[in-house]
Amino acid sequence: MKVLIEQHGAPGPGGRAPVLRRTVQAEWIRVGRHASSELHLPDPRVPLAKGMIVDRDGPVYIEGEAGSHDITRKTVHAVRLKPGVPLEIGPYRIEAKPPPEGYDAALEVRLVHPLPAAGGLASQASRLTLAAHRLPKRGAAWALAIAILLLGFAVPAGRVLHAPWHAAADSAVGDRLWDPGPLILAHQPLATKCGACHQVAFRHVKDAACLECHRTVGAHVPARLEQAALFGESRCASCHRDHKGAHATFRDDDRFCIACHRDLHREKRDTALEDVSDFAHAHPAFSIALPQGEGVRLVRQGEGATLAYASNLHFPHAKHLDPQGVKSPDKGRVKLDCASCHHPDASKRGFEPISMARDCQSCHRLRFEPAVSEREAPHGNPGEAVAMIEDFYANLALRGTPDSFQKAFGVRGEGLLRRVGEPEEAQRTGALRMAQAKAQKVAHDLFEVRVCKTCHRLTREAGSALAWKVAPVRTSHHWMPAARFDHRAHASTPCADCHDVARSRDAGEVAMPTIDTCRKCHGGARAAAGKVPSNCMLCHAFHDARHPWTPNDVERTALAH
Amino acid sequence: MRHYSILEYGNFRWLKLGLVLCAAVALAYLLHHPAVAPYGGTWLGYTLGTLGAVLILWLLWYGVRKRRYRSNAGSLQGWLSAHVYLGTALVLVATLHAGFQVGWNVHTLAYVLTLAVVASGFFGVYVYLRVPTLMTENLGEETLESLLLGVGDVDREMRDKAISLPDDLFALVDRSISGTRLGPSALRLLAGADPACPTAAAVRDWPRLARRLTGDAAKLDKEVFGLLLRKHELLTRARRTLRHKALLDLWLYVHVPLAVALLAALIAHVVSVFIYW
Repeated sequence: MKVLIEQHGAPGPGGRAPVLRRTVQAEWIRVGRHASSELHLPDPRVPLAKGMIVDRDGPVYIEGEAGSHDITRKTVHAVRLKPGVPLEIGPYRIEAKPPPEGYDAALEVRLVHPLPAAGGLASQASRLTLAAHRLPKRGAAWALAIAILLLGFAVPAGRVLHAPWHAAADSAVGDRLWDPGPLILAHQPLATKCGACHQVAFRHVKDAACLECHRTVGAHVPARLEQAALFGESRCASCHRDHKGAHATFRDDDRFCIACHRDLHREKRDTALEDVSDFAHAHPAFSIALPQGEGVRLVRQGEGATLAYASNLHFPHAKHLDPQGVKSPDKGRVKLDCASCHHPDASKRGFEPISMARDCQSCHRLRFEPAVSEREAPHGNPGEAVAMIEDFYANLALRGTPDSFQKAFGVRGEGLLRRVGEPEEAQRTGALRMAQAKAQKVAHDLFEVRVCKTCHRLTREAGSALAWKVAPVRTSHHWMPAARFDHRAHASTPCADCHDVARSRDAGEVAMPTIDTCRKCHGGARAAAGKVPSNCMLCHAFHDARHPWTPNDVERTALAH
Repeated sequence: MRHYSILEYGNFRWLKLGLVLCAAVALAYLLHHPAVAPYGGTWLGYTLGTLGAVLILWLLWYGVRKRRYRSNAGSLQGWLSAHVYLGTALVLVATLHAGFQVGWNVHTLAYVLTLAVVASGFFGVYVYLRVPTLMTENLGEETLESLLLGVGDVDREMRDKAISLPDDLFALVDRSISGTRLGPSALRLLAGADPACPTAAAVRDWPRLARRLTGDAAKLDKEVFGLLLRKHELLTRARRTLRHKALLDLWLYVHVPLAVALLAALIAHVVSVFIYW
């Protein structure tokens, strides 16, 4: 087969397409991208070996099975090439033309879909910087800033600045985002009510806000005293800062106390108070509040004689704490200790007052006629006791049996009403006189000789043989009203370590420990090894309802009036 | 001439100043015994807060100063050096201002943003000190443009040579030429690699497919494979360069928005604190 192949190239710059004419003489004409093909179609879109043209009474284009290298094996596609019936192979169009003289066939080959000009990688390399990807730098900045100002400022500020959206904002987050830290437990119900304390925007929290609830808190110095001026600039919040944790609003150290008390004369030249800066080495001896008249007087320990006061009670601790025991009316010798009489009160910090009935009377019985009766005179009211004794003997004179009559009055006989017949006038007056004489003798004996006088200081009232006055006993007392002491916290210590009463013979002797006793265990704020660190507020309170240096001043000194 | 980095500017002038500032602030904090606990509301807290706020505003001003090319207020190098060291000192000032107290509130938000901005700044300093060296090592005498031109040359030569190779091999070459992309996404830029790169795939698959070739085709195949390898190497370097450039930009996409957010949080913090004084 002799074929003329007329291959039209792509148009050049002048618009003219070059035409390449070749004559091919072969059994078959291979069509494909391969350079050895007789009809070479050099385009990447054409397979290496696409098909072939054979002569079957004219050119026929045939293609082998797809994927088959051997295009002759099995024909799947055959087209007779005729003029006017173009064949598309990839981007090429092949059309038969009338063959010139001496040729079996003529084929016109045109590249009808030229490959777009390849721009190389540079044209595929776009957006090579982050900026080209339009990452949102400014957008992110604006979005973040606006979100923060909205959520972190506008919404929380709604309430305090009375903005129109405050109701909606309150129900959502309120001003929680402004809360700088946890309130103390007692204030936590106010956690969402900032306005309870922060009443006016851009103003410090006022004391009045605190005093709305803390109505009874005491001032360190009552406002009516001139020393109160020393605290003029102080606010509650000077010492108490909330939002600093759930447990305390103040710092439990000595700085605030010492700031003034280290050199109190600098603050107030004529002060009578001594300076204090540390419990271990710069604290004056304790002052004891001794009862005097209706009030007390302060006496410092270690100044002069032993501290004693008029307790109006005869009570020798030494005798009652005798290691051999004390004699009891019916139990022989009984050994007493502190707890026999001193009973902790409900708080366990202090003690209940001594009670005659509970603590004394089991030994110190108030029987006035033990031979006849176990009755005891009532305690606490001399008049009642005398009346009871008079009644007792009058009753005995009227109704006494011969036995009790004789034991009581020391003569034979029996009660007036027991005798036969109506008593005569002389008998009646005789019995009454006898009963009264006996009652007077017994009462005198009870009060002044045998029983009452054992413990009490008595005076007989003028003008009456049977009226005594018992001086009031002062035993229950706060010796150190400016200090708080918890006996429960010291329960592991024997009483005698602090209260030395083993040799005390007088109830008026004050058995309070001295500062040196306390210092055996308690160090200063920065205690030495082995000692309990003890700062001012371990024993003292700042807000005292009574100011400690004039304990007789009982006027309420609360900050709120 | 030896190159001096901004960290060494002025014989470490700003490092020294930053250290003095930190020492002074730390000393004041240690000697200070506040009423309850150290926090922003004591006199030292207010002092440190004011100092911190002034520092933040001044550090933000750097963004303005660096765009003022005609400004004579110190060299930009000096400003950057001071920006780095005083920004670092800000961490201590802000921490001691807060007295180590944190919570879920706008105050801690400002503090955390401060730390985040400084941390992103540290990353920026690292990038600016480290990446230029890496770029030089990677590029040598070349530029990104020359690498891309080189790839174009390889592509043309490879297409001509590969046209007589079997279809499957030619398809690899064709896909490499038409399908290879640079930086189609920000993540690809930052990764510095394209796991779906057709050129890499061609390099990987080529030896297996080309094993059967013999004679002239085998010779041609070696040439084309050599071109593919060269292209792959050029592409790797180009992608690495793009990654370096992206890294130099990236930290600013964090640093700047966070710094602006910090300004907003600072305003909310300061105003809210004084509303609830």
